[in-house]
Amino acid sequence: MFYRLSGVYHTSYASDSRIFKVPADRNLAVFFLLFGLAAPFIVPSIYLNSYMLPWLIWTAAALGLNLVTGWAGQLHLGYAAVMAVGAYSAVHAARFGVPWEFALIIGGLASSVIGSLFAFAALRVKGLYLALTTLAMQFIMDWVLHHSPTVTGGSHASLQSPTLALLGQPITSDAGFYYVAFGWCVLVTIFMLNLKRTGLGRALVAVREKDYAAAILGVNSFYYKILAFAASSFIAGVSGALLVATFFFLATPEQFSVAVSIQALAMVIVGGLGSIIGSYFGVALILLVPGVINNLVAAIAHTLGAQVNVETLAHIPNAAYGALIVIILLIEPLGLGKLYGNIREYLMVWPFDQFRK
Amino acid sequence: MKIRQHIRSVAIAAALMTSATVASAQDKEPIRFGFCFDLSKSYTFITPQLAQGAQDLAMYVNDNGGIEGHPVEIIVRDHGNEPQRGVECYEQLKRDGVFAYYFASTPVTNAALPRLMKDGNILMQSFVGRGDAVDGEVFEWVFPIGPTYWQQSANDIAFIKDQMGGDLSNAKIGFLYLDYPFGQEPIEVLKVLSEKEGFDLQLYPVPLPGTDQSGAWSKIRRDKPDYVISWVWAGAHVVASKEMRRNRFPTDRYLSVNWLNEVDLRNIGAEEAKGILRGTNVAGGQDIPIIRTLLDTYYANGKGSGPEILTQDVYYNMGVALQAAAHEAARLGIQQHGSPLTAESMKAGYESLVDFDADGLMAPITITPSDHGGGGKTRVEQWDGETWVPLTDWSADYLEEVWDVIRESSSKFSLE
Repeated sequence: MFYRLSGVYHTSYASDSRIFKVPADRNLAVFFLLFGLAAPFIVPSIYLNSYMLPWLIWTAAALGLNLVTGWAGQLHLGYAAVMAVGAYSAVHAARFGVPWEFALIIGGLASSVIGSLFAFAALRVKGLYLALTTLAMQFIMDWVLHHSPTVTGGSHASLQSPTLALLGQPITSDAGFYYVAFGWCVLVTIFMLNLKRTGLGRALVAVREKDYAAAILGVNSFYYKILAFAASSFIAGVSGALLVATFFFLATPEQFSVAVSIQALAMVIVGGLGSIIGSYFGVALILLVPGVINNLVAAIAHTLGAQVNVETLAHIPNAAYGALIVIILLIEPLGLGKLYGNIREYLMVWPFDQFRK
Repeated sequence: MKIRQHIRSVAIAAALMTSATVASAQDKEPIRFGFCFDLSKSYTFITPQLAQGAQDLAMYVNDNGGIEGHPVEIIVRDHGNEPQRGVECYEQLKRDGVFAYYFASTPVTNAALPRLMKDGNILMQSFVGRGDAVDGEVFEWVFPIGPTYWQQSANDIAFIKDQMGGDLSNAKIGFLYLDYPFGQEPIEVLKVLSEKEGFDLQLYPVPLPGTDQSGAWSKIRRDKPDYVISWVWAGAHVVASKEMRRNRFPTDRYLSVNWLNEVDLRNIGAEEAKGILRGTNVAGGQDIPIIRTLLDTYYANGKGSGPEILTQDVYYNMGVALQAAAHEAARLGIQQHGSPLTAESMKAGYESLVDFDADGLMAPITITPSDHGGGGKTRVEQWDGETWVPLTDWSADYLEEVWDVIRESSSKFSLE
């Protein structure tokens, strides 16, 4: 009923490979696009700049990780390190006087180069071994950042980012920062939506399922693995740079530590490997829910007037949050994206379940 | 009919009551402090004590008429040491009317600093964040009460010089540190001082979290430094103490950073720890007027803000001391500029603190518009098996050298 299928049939390959085959999906996407555009006018500023903005940037980053992990099937535990490369390169470039548009691209390209180095490891090892190799890369990057004051900005290891300016316009307002993040997230989302239906996307899936079978089919797994790492690293680099330019305003090594890498992977896994909408959900859960639950618990304790010890108050949200992740993965091991998919599938023919083939 | 009348009278009464409370709250607007702490991840060995100390003092102040009639409210939130959540906490509390913050975590402090500087809110950042923030001319809104790690290490060197008869030219000083920014910070000042005083500086980095120190200590055994200044914390002290015994390094030549508390001592063992030295800007123990008062007023009646065991911790004293300085700043701010207190008047209040020592609880601090640290005085205490015995008076040395480093670093900061 909600996802009406009547009248949806394809008579040409072009129509069959449309991004949104069901009108309801397209309408939903358009609605959220419009909502996103209108958000600075309707969403209170606290939610805009400390929830939606990091959520959008991290979603873009998570989509990049999804490209290499969900599509190409290469487990990546050093994603934050790649983001760090992009962030530091872009900020240094901008401090050097390079316009931000190019600084962001420089950040992305620098990340691509370093990220492709990870790919060379991926060509030799797979699965858990690859996870460990990438984790090692993360530790190397942590070490490098902690030991190169010239890169990280002196003995305090904090490097200020110059004011972001795009197309000659300095961006200083909350709404401005939001639109930059929104624009980038939309761009990455469109790229990922299209990736699904191109030869490149299918080749990546072939490599993920069985790389030598892909090779037999004429898909050069060497080439596609490197491509996947390079493209995902580019997205990581620009996202890292934007995170610093629009949210933190300075870069420190802790923003890209090993814990962040694991969080990024958690976003993708909880959201659903290879799911675009899942990445949005996953990021919301991993990034925002701890803060939300924290505020909720504090508010409840405040209204009840309960004299709760500060430490207990801090640990209750963590326990609730951990339980939430476990419960979600128990209900649907394929993640939040699949959970949404199930609901969508159910509503697709509701209330005429008997017509389901 | 009757019910409706009842409802109406109740509604009117409620409306009257709210307007009455609003009227009384307006002239006695609470002074709110935002403590966005890491209470669940990395700094949990410090933050509960800090928060509890501050809350107890706030409770005591409120029970005694508040600050110039204004009650104090301390809002404690957890950010799990994640910069993103720290920023979120700041943005949330900012909208609730908080203008004085303490983040108690270096990554979060650094992440929130640009926003605070732009918004003009008070950042209490003792012992966290960038050390050059004591330069009040650059970091107008930041008040790192207490010594920077630079000043603290310089004071340690002055202590060693004193112990060695005023001459360091033949001395060998080891520096044991956690190999990340916290531990690396003093190196710069130590190098400057080593050139000035002519002592031999040996660096012994240990990887986080400091559980593996065997390599560093076998080097120490080989080098035989006269003193080891240690920039590690929590469990790393316990490991260091074991290594000292194994490598026959005398305990009374181990000079710790201020992050060595009673829990660490218990873990080392009160007897084994005999002789350990610690640099500090807060007096430890309970025999201090304000701490005694809090214990007698609240903990004796079971009314403290948290478990009593936490009060036997030097970090609890630190929490009380920092909050006491903040209260004094607020009081002076209201006296000078009237109520309600704003970020500007509190800043003015901070900057007019002269020789404030919270009745013997902390090193006397004098804050000026150019020095937001308060002078950076510390003293060295020694553990005698039962209590901490102060070996020196509160003092700060090598000010010129340290300030050169501070200004050199702060000059690179500019708010865009």
